[in-house]
Amino acid sequence: MTDAELIEKLKADLGDRVEIANPARRRLFLKVAPEHLVAVVTRLRDAFGLVFLSTISGVDFGATFEIIYHFSTPEQDYNLRTEIPKDHPHVDSITPVIPGAILYEREIQDMFGIVVDGIPDGRRLLLPDDWPDGQFPLRKDWTFVRPEEVIPGGKS
Amino acid sequence: MSFQIPIGPQHPALKEPISLRMTVEGEVITGADIRLGYNHRGIEKLAEERNWTQIIYLVERICGICSHSHATCYVQGVEKLMELVPPRRGMYIRYLVAELERVHSHLLWLGVAGHEAGFDSFFMYTWRDREIVMDLLEMISGNRVHYAINTIGGVRRDLDEGQKARILEGVAILKKRSEYYFHIGANEPSFVGRIAGVGMLSKEQAVSLCAVGPTARASGWDRDVRKEDPYAVYDELDFEVATADSCDVLGRVVVRVKELLESYKMIEQMVKGLPDGDIVVKAPRKAKAGEVVSRYEAPRGENIHYIKANGTDRPERLKVRAPTLGNYPATVAMLQNGFIADIPLIFAAIDPCICCAERAVTLVSARSGQESVVTMGDLRRQALARSKNAPVKGNAVWPF
Repeated sequence: MTDAELIEKLKADLGDRVEIANPARRRLFLKVAPEHLVAVVTRLRDAFGLVFLSTISGVDFGATFEIIYHFSTPEQDYNLRTEIPKDHPHVDSITPVIPGAILYEREIQDMFGIVVDGIPDGRRLLLPDDWPDGQFPLRKDWTFVRPEEVIPGGKS
Repeated sequence: MSFQIPIGPQHPALKEPISLRMTVEGEVITGADIRLGYNHRGIEKLAEERNWTQIIYLVERICGICSHSHATCYVQGVEKLMELVPPRRGMYIRYLVAELERVHSHLLWLGVAGHEAGFDSFFMYTWRDREIVMDLLEMISGNRVHYAINTIGGVRRDLDEGQKARILEGVAILKKRSEYYFHIGANEPSFVGRIAGVGMLSKEQAVSLCAVGPTARASGWDRDVRKEDPYAVYDELDFEVATADSCDVLGRVVVRVKELLESYKMIEQMVKGLPDGDIVVKAPRKAKAGEVVSRYEAPRGENIHYIKANGTDRPERLKVRAPTLGNYPATVAMLQNGFIADIPLIFAAIDPCICCAERAVTLVSARSGQESVVTMGDLRRQALARSKNAPVKGNAVWPF
């Protein structure tokens, strides 16, 4: 199946829930609204065989976050993107549909402060236990301020 | 009575520090929990403040074994963003180094697997042979580990006739030795008996947990980026995807031995068919705004970089997913219902180990909170003692 045929098939199946771009051969970028995300992922898994999630990328656009789910099948690469506002950063979990997504969802929670609703295990993954709340390193407006060193027992 | 055993954060069987907390019921693991971040270096954040060329050397330092895989994955993505077409000779040298790297990584891993299974002569054989390929890599690039041969638009060093001849000589020796490993199972039923049935990961689990690389292929799932999304030169080469369907550590050994032989085939094809011409084209300083998803089959599985450019000389976002992260959920599944004595072997089956230091595992009694420290060596001795008493699995047969 060529890319164009596949796009037609995807459009017929998913309707106007997705916008499809095809910037390079074998690379499809699908844009979906956050409220349709889980439904579209479930449909893609069942009808198009998207069982393999490579990773989830987050991008900080200033006022919004873009989240990209990189799927692949032996024939095609699907990159499903969704955009959420920064002042209400909530997205639904796809882990019930794709169990392998758990670590990547925990990663974007840590790094961007995106709240993944319905995640089965939402504990911290990468940041240290004593990391202050509300600090999200991969946000563009975050800068690192080295905390003052405290020497146990005081300076000698 | 259930116990919790913390393994890590510092642990010799993993190349990165990771904390695994095992819940055990007697000898059987009933739960495994994972905690990462002990080696988090903030490379993705740092990349946003470096220019395109500097990042090559930054991403090369993500991994100490498959350094070339990250640099290549990044560079081939940036070349697409800049609309550069590197010369074919440069491409051949780049992917020749990639296959040599796969050979050294798999030989290293085979040695570790043999060591953890108590087959130390296998470990010494493979690590002796690994020196051959390390010397070849040093001859080509000047370095044993961080080859730094990639640049945007091609490679930095050319090959001459003498070097080509030495590569073919080295590969001929390695091929002979690897064929010997191919038949080693027939002479060593205890090795096969030790690794068969350990660390089971069914195909359904491998698919649902998104396992990658030899781990997935050993569970009968034939995903290989080189075959399904052939980048650069791989559609010109003749090779096969190695798979096994035993779903255990034995399968992972078999897949890696087969992949070694496929890699030798590819190296010979690339050296013999090395085209003439330039090795590099000049790259612009800036990349146009755009985004690219670059995939690469690293020795441990699929490596994916997502690069977003905003028209300047540095990226808007660089997302890196190394294959090991993709295999962690599968690791947890493999450890379930395994034995404490198999932990070192299952760990080693996922990821090669370069750390030689003897570290400690602390056993905490859930009831009393009392801790006892066991060294990794003791744990391995316990593993050997256990498998010595266990009957050799009757249905375990070396598949060659």
